[in-house]
Amino acid sequence: MSLLAPIICDNGTGFSKVGFAGNSDPSFVFPTAIATRGPASQASRGPSVPSKPGHLASKRGVEDLDFFIGDEALANAQTPGYGINYPIRHGQIENWDYMERYWEQTIFKYLRAEPEDHYFLLTEPPLNPPENREQTAEIFFESFNIKGLYIAVQAVLALAASWSSNRVTDRTLTGTVIDSGDGVTHVIPCAEGYVIGSAIKHIPIAGRDITQFVLNLMRERGEMANVPPEDQLKVAGKVKEQYSYVCQDIVKEFRKYDQEPYKYFARYEGEHTVTGRKYEIDVGYERFLAPEIFFNPEINSSEFLTPLPEIVDGVIQQSPIDVRRGLYKNIVLSGGSTMFQHFGQRLKRDLKQIVDRRLEVNAQASGSQLRSSGVEVEVISHKRQRYAVWFGGSLMASLPEFYSFCHTKAQYDEIGPSICRRYQIFGSAT
Amino acid sequence: MILLEPHNYIIHTTLAEKAVKPSSLDVQFVDFDGVRFRLSTPDRKTALVLSMNIRCWDELVRYGVHDILKREYGPLLKAEPENEYNVSLEIDLEQLPPDGEQRDAFFKSLALLKRNALAAPFELGFHAQKQLEAAGSGQGDLMALHYRDEEVIYVQASSDRVTVIFSTMFREETDRVFGKVFLQEFVDARRLPTIQSAPQVLYTTREPPLEIRHLPGLHDSDDVGYVTFVLFPRHFANSIVANTTITHIQLFRDYLHYHIKCSKAYMHSRMRHRVSEFQKVLNRAKTEQATVERKTVTGRSMTLR
Amino acid sequence: MSNVLRPYLAAVRSTLTAALTLEDFSSQVVERHNKPEVEVAVSKEVLLNPLTISRNENERVLIEPSVNSVRISIKIKQADEIERILCHKFTRFMMQRAESFIVLRRKPVKGYDISFLITNNHTDTMLKHKIVDFIIQFMEEVDKEISEMKLSLNARARVVAESYLSAFNV
Repeated sequence: MSLLAPIICDNGTGFSKVGFAGNSDPSFVFPTAIATRGPASQASRGPSVPSKPGHLASKRGVEDLDFFIGDEALANAQTPGYGINYPIRHGQIENWDYMERYWEQTIFKYLRAEPEDHYFLLTEPPLNPPENREQTAEIFFESFNIKGLYIAVQAVLALAASWSSNRVTDRTLTGTVIDSGDGVTHVIPCAEGYVIGSAIKHIPIAGRDITQFVLNLMRERGEMANVPPEDQLKVAGKVKEQYSYVCQDIVKEFRKYDQEPYKYFARYEGEHTVTGRKYEIDVGYERFLAPEIFFNPEINSSEFLTPLPEIVDGVIQQSPIDVRRGLYKNIVLSGGSTMFQHFGQRLKRDLKQIVDRRLEVNAQASGSQLRSSGVEVEVISHKRQRYAVWFGGSLMASLPEFYSFCHTKAQYDEIGPSICRRYQIFGSAT
Repeated sequence: MILLEPHNYIIHTTLAEKAVKPSSLDVQFVDFDGVRFRLSTPDRKTALVLSMNIRCWDELVRYGVHDILKREYGPLLKAEPENEYNVSLEIDLEQLPPDGEQRDAFFKSLALLKRNALAAPFELGFHAQKQLEAAGSGQGDLMALHYRDEEVIYVQASSDRVTVIFSTMFREETDRVFGKVFLQEFVDARRLPTIQSAPQVLYTTREPPLEIRHLPGLHDSDDVGYVTFVLFPRHFANSIVANTTITHIQLFRDYLHYHIKCSKAYMHSRMRHRVSEFQKVLNRAKTEQATVERKTVTGRSMTLR
Repeated sequence: MSNVLRPYLAAVRSTLTAALTLEDFSSQVVERHNKPEVEVAVSKEVLLNPLTISRNENERVLIEPSVNSVRISIKIKQADEIERILCHKFTRFMMQRAESFIVLRRKPVKGYDISFLITNNHTDTMLKHKIVDFIIQFMEEVDKEISEMKLSLNARARVVAESYLSAFNV
């Protein structure tokens, strides 16, 4: 029987990306949310204690099938009797009961695949405890009887996704990944497919914060007066996605806007979701200020002040010295919040300045007899950036050797879940 | 979700999306029973080609799948299917039915492509039964549909009924046991007064039913079971009823396996709960230990994240 | 707890309480090693007589005491194929999480479904009678859980079959 395409499941904190290997885009992108009977779980910290399946369940027997996932979950959140839950927090699965059912419906309702016929590629955040891998394997092999499983680290897949860019000549799994989604931004150094765990840094600025920042700016200018309050956050999100870009010099950009406002101010037209009333707002400085909070975080809040390029530099400096060149040379962007125009160029420029300055200082301190040949800094942005992790998975899983890297059902039955503690890293394909 | 839906979700949503905003596209995806689909725009953005590959296509052709697809999709059918696929439909996004219900119905019918193709032997069987009934006696041909690697659907018409036999195969011990429980309930459930009119269900393990006993190459092991549905004329009295019957019976295997998997998931959540309860009991045995704050050399305190 | 089960559990409880008189005991064979003697079983003189408490041929408990450790193995009642598979699933699920159960063995002793190993370290850091409580409660509830799981499986199967067949109703 011809093998059916492997299924790629990238379950993130905010959104899940699922689809079949070989495609360039995921078939489904929907929120990682599940609406079940009963109240929503409190946003408590720490792992939630699994709730008693309930005596009601034994009355009819199938109450646990009464749930919705993804967009349908959000739509049904208001229905009396249903509560909405987010099984993944900070990238890691917190509620296995919900997650198992989430996968169940993903496979049977949306993908319409018989899991017994498919290989699966799942993703995990860096520093995921191996116990989580075991639990995942337990669910997939025992509940779903899948053919084979591969669990990949998201950052490594993001690196693989950058191979689609024509600027990448050698396909290497060494590089620094800047993964910025909705909730949090990570800077993750990888050496030959292995994550350098001790050097990972998290930045508390991501998509959600940028949207909020845009909203604040527009409120201050009074633009939001025309917009109904319930739509404001959505409008801010749209403005961020459609009009924002990264400028090279913030002072010059301000001057440009003030001299020729008509040329640079954009107009956003919206419609009230309920009444259908039309409104228009001017989009101004927030166009370049929004992504600027990565580079000058002080314009948003005083809690976190280190600019992104400095963090990237710090991360690379904390990594082993023999991979630093490789890390500087291959900085890969991934996730929706890195999609701003010129984001890569600005990051490259700022980072290059930091690196060059340090080389200069070193040269002086050493008596300027020896000069470094310079460090190459390259930031890769490519077309598949938004779903880079998923796309990387799709690329990997369509390689013929993918199957030999997977652990099969037979191996699982022989050895047990501990088999999934280790996976062979994809050798950099030539 | 108790019952599985008959239509393919991806086809439906993708078409609805592209109708609003055409763009170039090339995606491959699957459906139950190893059916592969490809949706692409080879020439221009508004001409979508939907191709399907079914492993038992040759058998379907013998049972008249061409006629059914011609009836359902008519002009959409491409004369030459795409390479590697069995059937291709061409959908012109510029000539869609008007927005609203009509268009939705059109997309729905496209999303039912797999269902319509697999309907061939059933329709033929129903038709044969009508003829045999008129003739008074006799047996129709035994139609086999090798829809999966190790599993087959058999359809046979006789003068007063149509018999549908599924051979089932469980690769896993747990599945086999669970499957047995489920199938036994299928047999028993019919005793309920509310579902008296449902088809009669018979279930045997290992032993093939009379109708197919003469066939060569039947597996002989404990993992194999045979489920027989006896459809009476009332299940295909008119075309609407017949269509629901066909839609429904096709999904039998997927339905069964879906629920076996759901039960396993349910068992998992029960076990998780029970294990955490046991954990609590054991924790009660632990004596209170004064937790000393541990510090590193630099004076930072060590805490578990 | 049903009355029929009570004498059986009472017997296990008193035997276990008696067996849990453990002390720190360094290995006599390897210097500076301290191992559960019941597991290594190289010095015969520190092993005590193992004891089987059996309720019937399908339910029994094996208690193997030694100077510094006790091994308890339980055979859980399995009336039919379904209970067998559920029991297997459950014990495997639990042993998979042995890390957090401290006294649970990752593999059962041959011929039994689940095994516990209690060492002198455990009795030092935990309350002895509570450990016994845990074992007893486990034995009590595991039977209940398995029969509940079986019931719910049957109930599910019924609902599933009914909803499938009733869709044929016209």
